[in-house]
Amino acid sequence: MLYIKCPHCGMRSQNEFSYGGDASVKRPELNKEISDQEWDNFVYNRKSLRGKHWELWQHLSGCRQWIKVQRDTATHEIFNTLKAEEEIN
Amino acid sequence: MSQEFRLKDIGLIKRNKKISFKFNGKKYQGYEGDTLASALLANGVHLVGRSFKYHRPRGFFGAGADEPYAVVQLYRDGETEPNIKATEQELFEGLEAKSVNCWPSVNFDIGAINNILKIFLPAGFYYKTFMWPKSFWYKVYEPFIRKAAGLGVASTKHDKERYEHKYEYCDLLIAGSGPSGLSSAYAAAKNGAKVILAEDKSRFGGSLLTSDVNIGNQSGKNWAEKIIAELKDMPNVIVKNRSQIFGYYDHNMLVMSEKISDHLPKTKKYHPNKKLWYIRAKEVLISSGSIERPIVFGNNDTPGVMLSSAAKEYMKVYGVLVGKKPLVFTNNDSGYETAIEFKKNGIDPIVLDSRENPASEIVDEAKNLGLNIKFSYVVVAAKGYKKVKSADIALISKDKKKLGKIENINCDCICVSGFWTPTIHLASQSGNKTKFDDNIDAFIPGKSKQNETTLGAANGVFSLKETLKTSFEAGNNLSKKITNIENKVSIPNIVEKKYSKHDKFWCVPLPKGKNYKRFLDFQNDVSVSDIELALREGYRSIEHVKRYTTLGMATDQGKTSNLNGLQLVSDIENKVVPSVGHTTFRPPYTPISIGAIVGREIGKHSKPTRKSPMHSWHEKNNAIFVDAGVWLRPRYYKKGDENLFEASKREAKNVRTNVGVCDVTTLGKIDIKGPDAAEFLNRVYTNAWLKLPVGKARYGVMLREDGIVMDDGTTTRISENHYHMTTTTAQAANVLSHLEYYLQLVWPELNVNVVSTTEQWAGAAIAGPNSRNLLKKLFPNNDVSNENLPFMGFMEGDLFGVKTRIFRISFSGELAYELNVESDYGKFMWEKIVELGEEFKIQPYGTEALSTLRIEMGHVAGSELDGRTIPYDNALEGLVSKKKDFIGKRSLQRLAFVAKDRQRIVGVVPIDKKTNIPEGSHLVKDAKASLPNKKLGHISASCWSVEYDNPFSLAILKDGKNMIGEKLFVMSPLKNKIIPVEIVSSHYVDPKGERVRS
Amino acid sequence: MQNYSIFSLIKNAFSNHEKWDLAWKDPSPKKEYDVVIIGGGGHGLATAYYLAKEHQITNVAIIEKGWIGGGNVGRNTTIIRSNYMHDDNGLFSEFGMDLWRRMSQDLNYNVMFSPRGIINLAHSDAQMNVYARRGNSMRLNGIDAVLLNREQVQEIIPMADFSENVRFPIFGGLMQPSAGTARHDAVAWGYARQADSMGVDIIQNCEVIGFDVSAGKITGVRTSRGDIKAKKIGLCVAGSTNILAEKLNMRLPIETHLLQACVSEPVKPVLDKVVTFGAGHFYISQSDKGEMVMGGDLDGYNSYAQRGNLPTLQHVLTEGIAMMPFLSKLKMLRTWGGIMDMSMDGSPIIDKTHIEGLYLNCGWCYGGFKATPASGWTFAHTIAQDKVHKLNAGYSLNRFNTGHLLDEKGLGTKTWIS
Repeated sequence: MLYIKCPHCGMRSQNEFSYGGDASVKRPELNKEISDQEWDNFVYNRKSLRGKHWELWQHLSGCRQWIKVQRDTATHEIFNTLKAEEEIN
Repeated sequence: MSQEFRLKDIGLIKRNKKISFKFNGKKYQGYEGDTLASALLANGVHLVGRSFKYHRPRGFFGAGADEPYAVVQLYRDGETEPNIKATEQELFEGLEAKSVNCWPSVNFDIGAINNILKIFLPAGFYYKTFMWPKSFWYKVYEPFIRKAAGLGVASTKHDKERYEHKYEYCDLLIAGSGPSGLSSAYAAAKNGAKVILAEDKSRFGGSLLTSDVNIGNQSGKNWAEKIIAELKDMPNVIVKNRSQIFGYYDHNMLVMSEKISDHLPKTKKYHPNKKLWYIRAKEVLISSGSIERPIVFGNNDTPGVMLSSAAKEYMKVYGVLVGKKPLVFTNNDSGYETAIEFKKNGIDPIVLDSRENPASEIVDEAKNLGLNIKFSYVVVAAKGYKKVKSADIALISKDKKKLGKIENINCDCICVSGFWTPTIHLASQSGNKTKFDDNIDAFIPGKSKQNETTLGAANGVFSLKETLKTSFEAGNNLSKKITNIENKVSIPNIVEKKYSKHDKFWCVPLPKGKNYKRFLDFQNDVSVSDIELALREGYRSIEHVKRYTTLGMATDQGKTSNLNGLQLVSDIENKVVPSVGHTTFRPPYTPISIGAIVGREIGKHSKPTRKSPMHSWHEKNNAIFVDAGVWLRPRYYKKGDENLFEASKREAKNVRTNVGVCDVTTLGKIDIKGPDAAEFLNRVYTNAWLKLPVGKARYGVMLREDGIVMDDGTTTRISENHYHMTTTTAQAANVLSHLEYYLQLVWPELNVNVVSTTEQWAGAAIAGPNSRNLLKKLFPNNDVSNENLPFMGFMEGDLFGVKTRIFRISFSGELAYELNVESDYGKFMWEKIVELGEEFKIQPYGTEALSTLRIEMGHVAGSELDGRTIPYDNALEGLVSKKKDFIGKRSLQRLAFVAKDRQRIVGVVPIDKKTNIPEGSHLVKDAKASLPNKKLGHISASCWSVEYDNPFSLAILKDGKNMIGEKLFVMSPLKNKIIPVEIVSSHYVDPKGERVRS
Repeated sequence: MQNYSIFSLIKNAFSNHEKWDLAWKDPSPKKEYDVVIIGGGGHGLATAYYLAKEHQITNVAIIEKGWIGGGNVGRNTTIIRSNYMHDDNGLFSEFGMDLWRRMSQDLNYNVMFSPRGIINLAHSDAQMNVYARRGNSMRLNGIDAVLLNREQVQEIIPMADFSENVRFPIFGGLMQPSAGTARHDAVAWGYARQADSMGVDIIQNCEVIGFDVSAGKITGVRTSRGDIKAKKIGLCVAGSTNILAEKLNMRLPIETHLLQACVSEPVKPVLDKVVTFGAGHFYISQSDKGEMVMGGDLDGYNSYAQRGNLPTLQHVLTEGIAMMPFLSKLKMLRTWGGIMDMSMDGSPIIDKTHIEGLYLNCGWCYGGFKATPASGWTFAHTIAQDKVHKLNAGYSLNRFNTGHLLDEKGLGTKTWIS
């Protein structure tokens, strides 16, 4: 079971969280004209590679905050966690 | 039968506590502290079972978890359990066990015919035959094979045992209580660290219980006892026996299975059978020791052939002789320890050492004791069928390829030692890339992957001195990093023998003209020739070898066979072992009780049950409940001997004619507050929300980003910056997460907060032409007139002192209201409604009537919003704003979603106005068309229209918009039904929606 | 090639089984092939077999990073079925069922196809209706399906929980009597042996490093064992699709997830059907060896690890005991993990791509094993004819753009939930 550092609550076991997928996916701005490709990239297309992966988790049974977690998809090692408003660099 | 193989003054068993037990129906005696294996051996019983494939006789090979074949069916306290290792099962009074996989008995097993046919049954034989005639595999061959396979018999009774879970955190978790485990635990505990020390056997001490060493001027065993006693007294230490750490998972989470009751005749009242510990450790010390490797020779599966370390353990721990004419066959010094132990107990063993002239302390000692030792000698084959009677032995050439003349010597057991294999499972499970150590010809852990440190024999260190030194250091260093305390313990003085090099030799060649089976995997009957065949046929990857031959896939998971298999493959393929590689170690280390893994979430408690505050009223009033997710909701209230259909019709009719009340507590409720709440709703819902006045509710539909309807419900503006959203019961949790996602990640600039209030409010829907009259009685102090509280209006009311939210919303299509009070007042509200509603002929109605009411109104619900439909499909496109953007809008432009003949909701009425239309049926143009018959749509929901007194259904139909008036067929091949129907509007009752506004 | 039969087995027994041929050779890659299939799993091997058998294209190489059959074809729970609601899924799978029924004879390799039937349990009337929708759709597509009531289910699988102490009582179930199981490794090996015998090169331990594309056309693949030219390349690497797509600068509607499965210790026959739980996600069957083969939910986060965590299995087995309480007394023997291509609507992709000569076979979620023959057959057709067959027309890549989705569960793009 993963051990995830919630930036708000500290180290917590994975069963308090729910997964939210690729954190690098950015929703296009409202009312902005965009191509089909851009929209499909947002809704459907994913990189989902082996190695470091920024992803979203929600601390569902805790502070209910969405957080960003950098995790290795091959080893499951977690390197970093950020609050929702913090930018991935 | 007396225990004629029991020694007198040796062992750790309690001789004053005699225990009776039964094996294969026969009564025996043993002592407390015995395992089933040691007790049977004490009685001279070696034949315990039959092998998986050839049904060859099988005895005891080991003395613990590595046991490949002594698997029995256990009977305890009126229950039975299959596949229990006799070497692990502790003896208790009244224990009964039987051999498995043999019929009619272990002595005379019909299946042993396979042993005669074995030349026709090489590895993978079943892939090459049983193919003709075609249907015979499933009908004839497979049932036969299935019956022959599978060890014990599973009881299909419910398990009456209880299993518990425990979550624990510690500084150091130590797996194994041998010399390294004890010393590291001791050092760490002295530094104040929180330590958990786990031992899978009943006795602590590991190899110290059987080795002839001296630590700090006392025997290894006494030193171990002293350390354990001290550890047990320390408040920062948890010491657990019968507890196996079987899995090393991510982020230093390890799982341990503690056997609490298996050694007792019966589980004590209020005690669990087993306890599963999830342990998150800061540091993990793996001191799991090593397992002796066999040497492979002809008929090496004969009962009486066993590991030399097991023979020694049976003597030293259990006071049992495994034979009176032992032959010890070794390629290293360890075999001599067993031989000397025999000698000490008055038995003269013969030692065969494959080495030419080993120079070592213990060999000299054995010589001095006058032992009969034959160097450069090997066992070629064991002789005897159900028990070893003699052994064919021979000189072996230096290159180990040529055998000398075969000699036969009498013996009743063969104790074999092929050196040691470190138990690296936990390290490997942690992700550690193990490496091959040429010095010991085995894999050892490489660089730590997680916070694991492997010590002692598990790390390939076989010197006690070295083990104690590194373990004390590791315990000390790792703990002081955590506690910042150092109370260094001095390392005791150690006396042990120096060991000489083992022989790199694990498989005795076949003598000319002989075709002995030489087994690697004893349970699955995988022999050397099977591996050779696999390689010959091109199954060359070690994974192919494993899968083709089933090597290492039995219940012992290859603990004694994998490395010999690898060695053999590398010999044949002319590769070094590391380039052959090994198959992956995965948890569990040994088979783990499924009951223990699951714990307490069984039966009624397998999932939570949620009940509304009015539940007890429903129960009292003959409600029949239905599961709605984890909620229980009244489906109908049974009157007399009514059935579901009659009751729901009555309830629905009463709503249409008088007034009904329905528990709607389960609806999801979300409180939304903040200055940007309106803007937020405007983005979340498809329709416009910026101009909703305070005190008004609005129906809304929300989409996923892929344009599919996610949920619907009403949201009410309670005050300027305060909204109350309702969701469907099923989607409540998802919708809240969805809103939080957008607020926190996508539009953090919006000043809005959301919180679930589902549990805070009890809800009752009052529906029917009399509902306003009832409302007037309920709220005498409030003006609930049509003018003051119009359709989609909201007000707060005073229900005899209880603050109530009154929403004028309707799912039934009737004049209706929804009342919310704080949950604690739910039952009060409900009883008040029923009491004052009596004069208006109120009746409670359940979900079935609710369905009927919404279906004939054409209101959509879960069966239409099934995760595949867009607003248009549900005739909700009027709620889709063309002006503003919202979640999922861009997806609605997609080709399939704007197709001219896009599916759409319609009403369906049987032509005969009588035949019920089963839900889940499909609509077709031609009921007699050949298959596959083109489906035009499906029936999503059906009811008996109480308004028109005939069946009515909703359907999602291709080109539904242009199909009104068409005649089609409803087909339900599952129910053998073909029903001619007419397509009508989905708004079957009150299409203009006048009633809700009345 | 040697024929496998009871007679050849007896004959070889008398020469100590020393005269068996290689099941497949171990060639080095040639410089050029007409078709290169990337991925030596079930689908890749089947594709090569059908290219040779149905389209007489034999200048074909399968290149495999590890050992053939090492991916999901050897890591699944061996269930074979065609009980789908959507026409595209149903008709495709039923075509596959026909291939399964004669596979042992076609391949001269016993894949032990065992049509013992699958039962999906239902735990409410609403669920019975959902199953009826699927079952009726199956029947109208010519696929066998039977709706069972509680008593009928009890007769077939009395060991399921019919007691009072049950959270979600069994209302009934949907059964596909012709569904079943097969021996997974044998499928890979059987296809490999036949493909090899028809001239296909099976090249193991050969990792793809990159692709050669010129003027919008694929020309070859660069591998750890040298560059290989190819007129056509088929990608058949479910579980690693995203890694290879990255090398082609493609982004696909696929996420890579981990699915665990486990077996109990072997016991004597007790269950002769495949059964799925309706109030959660759990499926079980008993192997010919006697092991109870069990699976359920994904671990629930993107992963390439092939190693999962216990809470997922705990959750899966909790549902197992809820369905069949006797499992409590058994022991979990072995666990393993497989890496899944989770597509965004739960259905696969078998299609051409925007690169000429490059074909895509991916997105199998956890339904890949059963699809092996039909996938190989249709993919071979798509490659050979350079156009999709009507059986895989629905499995287009651009359906995500057009909205012609095939979402059996209606869960949408949160692939980790399904």
